[in-house]
Amino acid sequence: MTATPVVRTRGLAKRYRDADALIDLDIEVSPGEVLGYLGPNGAGKTTTIRLLLGLIRPTSGSAELFGLDCQRDIVAVHRRLGYVGGETSLWPGLTGAETLHLLGQVQGRVDDAYRDELVERFDLDPSRKVRTYSKGNRQKVALIAALMGRPDLLILDEPTSGLDPLKEYEFRRCVTEARERGQTVFLSSHILSEVEALCDRVAILRDGRLVEVGTLADMRHLSSFTVEATFDGTVPDLAGVDGVLSVSTHGRQATMQLRGSVEPLLQVLAASGVSELRSREPSLEELFLTLYGGGGGPRGSGDGDGDRATGDD
Amino acid sequence: MFGAFVVATAWSYSSIYKTRAQRDALATAFGSNRAIIALFGPAPMLQTSAGFTVLKTFLTLSILGAVWGLLSGTRSLRGEEDAGRWELLLTGATTRGRATAQALCGLVAGVVVLWVITAAIIVVAGRSSRVAIQPGAGLFFAAALVSGALMFTAIGALCSQLGATRRQATGYAGAILGASYALRMVADSGTGLHGLIWLTPLGWVESLEPLTSPRPLPLIPIVACTVVVGLVAVRLAAGRDVGASTIPERIRTRPRLRLLSGHIGLTVRLTRPTVVAWGAAIALTGLLFGFVAHAAAASISGSSVRTVFTRLGAPGAGADAYLGVTNLFLAILLCCTAAGLVAAVRAEELEGRLDPILTAPVARHRWLGARIVVAAAALSVCGIVAGLATLLGAVLGGAHVDGAAVVGAGLNLVPPAVCILGIGALAYGMVPRMAGRIVWGLVGWSVLIDLIGGIGSLDHWVADTSVFHQMAAVPAVPPNWPSLVALGLIGITASIAACVAFDHRDVQGS
Repeated sequence: MTATPVVRTRGLAKRYRDADALIDLDIEVSPGEVLGYLGPNGAGKTTTIRLLLGLIRPTSGSAELFGLDCQRDIVAVHRRLGYVGGETSLWPGLTGAETLHLLGQVQGRVDDAYRDELVERFDLDPSRKVRTYSKGNRQKVALIAALMGRPDLLILDEPTSGLDPLKEYEFRRCVTEARERGQTVFLSSHILSEVEALCDRVAILRDGRLVEVGTLADMRHLSSFTVEATFDGTVPDLAGVDGVLSVSTHGRQATMQLRGSVEPLLQVLAASGVSELRSREPSLEELFLTLYGGGGGPRGSGDGDGDRATGDD
Repeated sequence: MFGAFVVATAWSYSSIYKTRAQRDALATAFGSNRAIIALFGPAPMLQTSAGFTVLKTFLTLSILGAVWGLLSGTRSLRGEEDAGRWELLLTGATTRGRATAQALCGLVAGVVVLWVITAAIIVVAGRSSRVAIQPGAGLFFAAALVSGALMFTAIGALCSQLGATRRQATGYAGAILGASYALRMVADSGTGLHGLIWLTPLGWVESLEPLTSPRPLPLIPIVACTVVVGLVAVRLAAGRDVGASTIPERIRTRPRLRLLSGHIGLTVRLTRPTVVAWGAAIALTGLLFGFVAHAAAASISGSSVRTVFTRLGAPGAGADAYLGVTNLFLAILLCCTAAGLVAAVRAEELEGRLDPILTAPVARHRWLGARIVVAAAALSVCGIVAGLATLLGAVLGGAHVDGAAVVGAGLNLVPPAVCILGIGALAYGMVPRMAGRIVWGLVGWSVLIDLIGGIGSLDHWVADTSVFHQMAAVPAVPPNWPSLVALGLIGITASIAACVAFDHRDVQGS
């Protein structure tokens, strides 16, 4: 028998007035897993998270955390989770220390030593009033508050917005430690390197629908990879070769997106005098761009309207 | 509003004080009463409509204007800066000093508009024989009425530079207004310190003596004060960092954790400053009404005055009748406090500060319930404070009143406010976007209905929709227990429904 999934949604949907924010979401996260939840702005990431937190009600379908209904057993569910939002608002008249004390008390899980360690690691000055904090500092307070209780589930909605690279590194270390402790993490983000570094599985959302879910290895398998070749002489015509999706040339260098077998390409290359050959797996960024229809170019950033315009050309 | 109030007062004078004898009685009761003069300024020529109008409206409206001025000054300068919009403006082709000067000019233009409208209403209505104000006198009176607003707009702008938050800036400006009023009170108290009148902005306003014996000379310090204070504000704005303040702010404090052991404590801590500010306003108002009760009682012996008071629900003469009527104003203040507390709950959600609490193991109905209970307790304390302050004022003013009845009158104010709180909370639970409009609308409607009801007759079904109409004019008459119980029950039922509704709606994020 497998363990109860920490997160499970069935046909979860949310409709606002005249727009579908989330359509028919079925997703599961196992205990101890780190799930990356990706999608462009407005894809429905925050809607999903607010449904999981029970802050908004689904139009249809259901969401469960730890096997408990997110609407009915909201307090029991909240006892076991920590949440960080992307835009943290706190009480401007309270100091950082007061805020952390309050949130610890309200959550009911206080580990003062671990809290102080996190304050140290994130380099937060807790004696200052929240009003004087920058966005990054407010975000640190929220992160420390969520991490300090070592909850079974961390729900993080673009948690590193406003953090500098050093603190972002510290955040990654914290998530890695959490995973080693067996905590489950639901990480919504659009910083792809962050997801790539931290997540076991990735779910990709587009226009309110789940379009892809799996491990990065799975996805890479499905998708194209990149081959870069430098030629001794002129670059041959590679566009017609089996498996080659796109070619861009730059002087004597050619970069190709390839799917399927490499054999046909290798035969052409061998006959053309190649001096250098590099092949690499697609980065998550490239996967993401492929999924959103931009064909790997920097402009195909997944905006629905933009895609259609490109198609018409 | 200024113009309308002036005209209505002048109009009512001729209908209430019809005979010469009544007018003389008024003049002797008020004209030489030290307490009245200290509170409302000198009251010469009370036998005339002009003198009565000045006494009834001049200082009150000037103070209202000053409050309006300082609030708009701090809102459009420090408020904009707090909200981050100021920064956006400053990235345009302007400088800190110039932007401040422009904002200030805009505010002064607003005061000028206020003057034009007030003057127009007074001059037009002044042509009527019952109001009878000459056009020139009307223009000067309107100028005198808005001069407080003018100076305190500049003072608001100055305090926006001194304080680091809007609340702090408003606090400083409010303190200056309070000191100015107190100094004027001492100057008018008849203890030979009348020279002090030239040291206080409200004293200059008072010295204009519009309608009775107009003197334009004090306009010089009024204009000079506005210009100098405005220039200093611009200089300070030009010389400081955006977001910083001239008076350094204490950004580091020792943690005070006593109240922060849960969401209820947090609610108490967040509610406290609002309630203290409203409570202080209520206490001062109560003290004032109590203080003049003795003198006022003497003047309501006339039969026409008694008719008006009877219509307002306070039959009889004496301090009790007077306090029964004035308690309506305290009730309005207390209901405004209740509406403000509902608006604060809504702001907490709108600004996203609800998320950290509601994603913790805190049930939503418990959170809202705690807010309502804390608010209701605060309103009860304010009611008791209102009663005690009125009693203190009455004793100091020499009125003979029943202490228990006066304090009871303060408690009598609480059920209507609890009713407003409950209905406002229900609106918040069901239609959060409308909550502010519904709760303030209800208070405004109740005031309007009760005022109209006091002047003419209204269908009792309409009159009954006003929470103030349901409240008996204690201490003039005994409390209306069934009404109070009904108001309280409406408040409690609506609050419970609010908690249930809040459990079943979407929470808005930031």
